[in-house]
Amino acid sequence: MEEKVAVRKVGENHYTLDIRGSVCPYPQLFTIRALDQLTSGDTLDVTLDNPPSVRDIPPVIEKKGHNVSKILNVDKGVWQITICL
Amino acid sequence: MAELYYNDIERFIGRYSIGRDSNPLNIRDSLHFLRIKIPGGMLKTDQLRLIAELSKEYGRERGEITDRQDIQLHWVEAEDAPEIFLSMEKMGFTTDMCGQGFSGARYGDVRNIICCPVSGIEKNELIDVHPFMKHLNEFFIGNREFQDMPKKFKFAMSGCGADCVRSEINDLGFVAVQKDKKVGFTMLVGGSMGASLPGPRLAQPTSLFIKPEDVYDVAIATTEIHRDYGNRESKMKARFKWLINEWGIERFCKILKEKIQKPLERYDGPIFLNDNDHHGICPQSKEGYHYVNIPLIGGILTFDNMMILAELADEYGSGELRLTPQQNVILPNIKSKDALIKELEISGFSLDGSKLRWNSMGCASDFCGKTKEPHAKDVVNDIVNHLESRLNTNLLDEARFQIHVSGCPNNCCATLIAGIGLEGKLVKERGHLIQNYRLLVGGMTGLKTILARPVDENVPVEKLKYKIEVLLNNYDQERQESENLSEFCQRMPVEKLKSFMT
Repeated sequence: MEEKVAVRKVGENHYTLDIRGSVCPYPQLFTIRALDQLTSGDTLDVTLDNPPSVRDIPPVIEKKGHNVSKILNVDKGVWQITICL
Repeated sequence: MAELYYNDIERFIGRYSIGRDSNPLNIRDSLHFLRIKIPGGMLKTDQLRLIAELSKEYGRERGEITDRQDIQLHWVEAEDAPEIFLSMEKMGFTTDMCGQGFSGARYGDVRNIICCPVSGIEKNELIDVHPFMKHLNEFFIGNREFQDMPKKFKFAMSGCGADCVRSEINDLGFVAVQKDKKVGFTMLVGGSMGASLPGPRLAQPTSLFIKPEDVYDVAIATTEIHRDYGNRESKMKARFKWLINEWGIERFCKILKEKIQKPLERYDGPIFLNDNDHHGICPQSKEGYHYVNIPLIGGILTFDNMMILAELADEYGSGELRLTPQQNVILPNIKSKDALIKELEISGFSLDGSKLRWNSMGCASDFCGKTKEPHAKDVVNDIVNHLESRLNTNLLDEARFQIHVSGCPNNCCATLIAGIGLEGKLVKERGHLIQNYRLLVGGMTGLKTILARPVDENVPVEKLKYKIEVLLNNYDQERQESENLSEFCQRMPVEKLKSFMT
């Protein structure tokens, strides 16, 4: 069994989720699962390297009522999506 | 989605994924496809019914047979994936890993291993390759050691003496041959028709004779060579063909022999022995039984089609179906073929028409979003219907050619190995992008292998069918005895071919 992809706390109300190496649909599913564990006022930085997920995740998250505050290309082929709950 | 699935996502990783549809030009509004691996294209009727149900629930009642014997559904939502994977798992299905979205040369997996669709039932076949395919598929599916290769890896196996699986466009092809009255395989390596470097390449013969008991070791060692020595600096150089082109066959064979630590005999005989295409209604090795190959141009099946085929396979056959690399469906083990054919006709599956109906293919360009209308499957349908309405069926059959249509230069439908290949391209006309096609002629694989030659770089879609019709009329007038269309097109100077079609 794959080691569970987990949310990490990095500061007050600030969490990260590293899902590099995941293909669709896992980045989206991991992100939603992570958001379900957080509460209003929290911020989640999702790091991913699967371009289709950079396209797919923001609209899905916004539809769920969260705010995608930033999408940043942090390295060659790596993105960070910042979500505010 | 049930909470259970969220907590359970990890267990699907490595065996299930969904792929990307829809770039800016996509007209279908589908974000993801689900490519269900059907090992060797062989499935039971209850498995087809499940796919039909999945298509109804998640894929707008449509499935597509691919040229790797998969069934592909579109309009799949990422959030529905765990439920879909759970249903598939119960029926023993997995998917491709679809890691091509990544920017680097990595996350390549072993794609569905294709095999002769009539393995085990074909009259006079040299060897039944189904057990080899099954064993290898089981080894590679979910195997973490082979999920981060430089790029995807494609295998094909045939035991009937023909090139029905088009081994020459695979990274690795095992073709059954005979040496000193012993049946074994020879292998071809480094084929790929895509645009990646060093450009389209037919697989090269290794001149090795592989005993059946060594196939497993040789196949795994070859895949390890791709994994361990393949180019990871650039995605464009990451297919196995790049490595084979850089190394040459001699070096590849040396490394292979070192890896498996066994001597491998040399084989200098013919690779293919016949040009059996398994089309139509054919007698099986078992007396009194036939298989019926049903043509589906473009490989599209509706929910109703799938349910009807499953019902007919249960009623007239053995509850089994086989998908072909030409996007058709075979019902095997049929005793009452005439009654089945009547039922097929009633259900809209005609076995009439020219061989083009079995031979012609179109890619899923309407979903990948790189091209504009008209799309590949519609184009190939329109051309086949036009040619059948204007030309004699005997002429079309004697020309022994196929039409392959790809929407873009990625060449998913291998236009270079077809008698008529059409490769889509976008051109600007009066400020608008329109879809034209590049016309290639004269490709063939199997007994004779040669790549098609381009004869027109830019044909408006509406003119394609007329140009092909004129070419066939000239072929009819000027062909030599038993010359097929590809041989004719290779014999004629390109300028003469061009002059036929202006």
